[in-house]
Amino acid sequence: MLQLQQLAAGYGNIKALKNIDLTVPAGSIVSLIGANGAGKTTVMKVIMGLIKPEFGQIFFKGQNISGIASHKIVSLGLSLVPEGRSILSRMTVLENLEMGACQRQDNEVQADLQRIFQRFPILEERKAQLGGTLSGGQQQMLAIGRALMSRPELLLLDEPSMGLAPLVVADIFKVIQEINQEGTTVLLVEQNVRQALKIAKYAFVLETGRISLHGQAEDIAKDPRVMEAYLGGKK
Amino acid sequence: MEFLLNPYYMQLITFIIINAILGISIYLTLSTGQLSLGNAGFMSVGAYTSALLTLKAGVPLYAAVPLGGAAACLLAAIIGIPTTRLRGIYLAIATLGFGEVVRVIILNLKITNGALGLSSIPSMGVMLSKGIAAFGLAGGIGGISVRQLGSIAVILILALILGFLIFFALRLSSSRLGRAFAAIKADEHAAEVSGIDTRYYKLLAFFMGAFVAGIAGGLAAHITFYIGPKDFAYHRAVEILLFAVLGGSDVVWGPILGAVLLTVLPEVLRFATEYREMIYGAILVLMMAFRPQGLISESTLALWRTKLTRQPKIAGQDKVTRRTTP
Repeated sequence: MLQLQQLAAGYGNIKALKNIDLTVPAGSIVSLIGANGAGKTTVMKVIMGLIKPEFGQIFFKGQNISGIASHKIVSLGLSLVPEGRSILSRMTVLENLEMGACQRQDNEVQADLQRIFQRFPILEERKAQLGGTLSGGQQQMLAIGRALMSRPELLLLDEPSMGLAPLVVADIFKVIQEINQEGTTVLLVEQNVRQALKIAKYAFVLETGRISLHGQAEDIAKDPRVMEAYLGGKK
Repeated sequence: MEFLLNPYYMQLITFIIINAILGISIYLTLSTGQLSLGNAGFMSVGAYTSALLTLKAGVPLYAAVPLGGAAACLLAAIIGIPTTRLRGIYLAIATLGFGEVVRVIILNLKITNGALGLSSIPSMGVMLSKGIAAFGLAGGIGGISVRQLGSIAVILILALILGFLIFFALRLSSSRLGRAFAAIKADEHAAEVSGIDTRYYKLLAFFMGAFVAGIAGGLAAHITFYIGPKDFAYHRAVEILLFAVLGGSDVVWGPILGAVLLTVLPEVLRFATEYREMIYGAILVLMMAFRPQGLISESTLALWRTKLTRQPKIAGQDKVTRRTTP
């Protein structure tokens, strides 16, 4: 569904991504893991068109989308849950969700809104509350809900577990799996490697701007280098 | 009656309304979180375009003022496409610079009469009183002279324009467009990944602000019948900004209240003669210390709404029961 070919990008003189080849097959969950500063978030930003690639191509459903403006990428069926959630804190929960559907002209927006309230009942309870007054976990749910309101075929999640309690993290990962089972492809960037590899089908390991390892998620989880670097010793 | 209709008060009311329109113009750009100080520049373009069109080309007043707005809008396109990429203080500095450039150009052009400015611009009040006189009311009615009738008509027309702009701004804030503006103001990054074309909307808000400022400039030109480059200097840009700072920029009522207060305040403080500017400054400093969000914010409106709707609850219920009976 999504393919990155020989992608390079950076911020001025800093080359954050050097040569990235990455494939996300339709219907799967793909995890992108790596240490801080490896370039995970940059990959997400380049896919969404927030940063222009210096080299290489991005294909979504066979269409070259590299260098296209973000709002057009959203209308093609990609949606990002940004790192740190980026909730519109002075708007209500309902308004936040409606913002996610701002490009849609169809009349199923209300139905989708109900579906999101079914998935996250707490959001319906708090729909008149300002986004900024929610707890971290609720904000993450709101960010995911907002991204789903644009009806994406591919959902990009940038560190959904950041700063959340273990129980809430488990909830979020369950929801990600549910969303995937309902037919949305997921590309997940995570620090929580154990969980990320558990739910993913494929995984890519990013190290200083390069893909150092990729394959089936379970094989990656068993790889001694990954075990040592991210999962706490070889044992 | 005679007291209220004296030319000084009439003039003050027209200035209040024009400043309120300028308040709306800065509110429109601020509603996307863009701090533009170019409104004085756009105002001068509107004023000079409208004045020159009536003076030199004989264009009727009602056509010249919107054309002034259009000219400001056109210039906003040229200046806006590169500058709306800038954020925060950088945009403020760039637009402030733009305003000064416009002023210097006007100062040096022959057609704008340089530093002397344009005088004997066709006056709206005179035109309207002539119209009223032609209507057969040359003697005035009920002790109100035809000149006063003209001034009243000017105020009515200005109030109508202001009313329309307020209505437009209120409708805007509850529309898809207004929600997009608010999202950009809240978090540009989040807005972008939600699929909002931030560049387009920011530019649109910039255009709307410029157009309204241009209209205000045109109206001001035809009310004061004299304009000079000094009227639209740095001082004016800051004054327009203060409307939004004092009144608040969350809701359209904020800059309007700011405009009213900041137009009336210097007049009220006239008794203080040389201390006037000092008191004026002190009020602004106190304001910043105790109410940095401005006098009216969204929460103040919500508070008043609940206060006002709590008492007539019984009356409201009455209405509901009445509606159910066929």
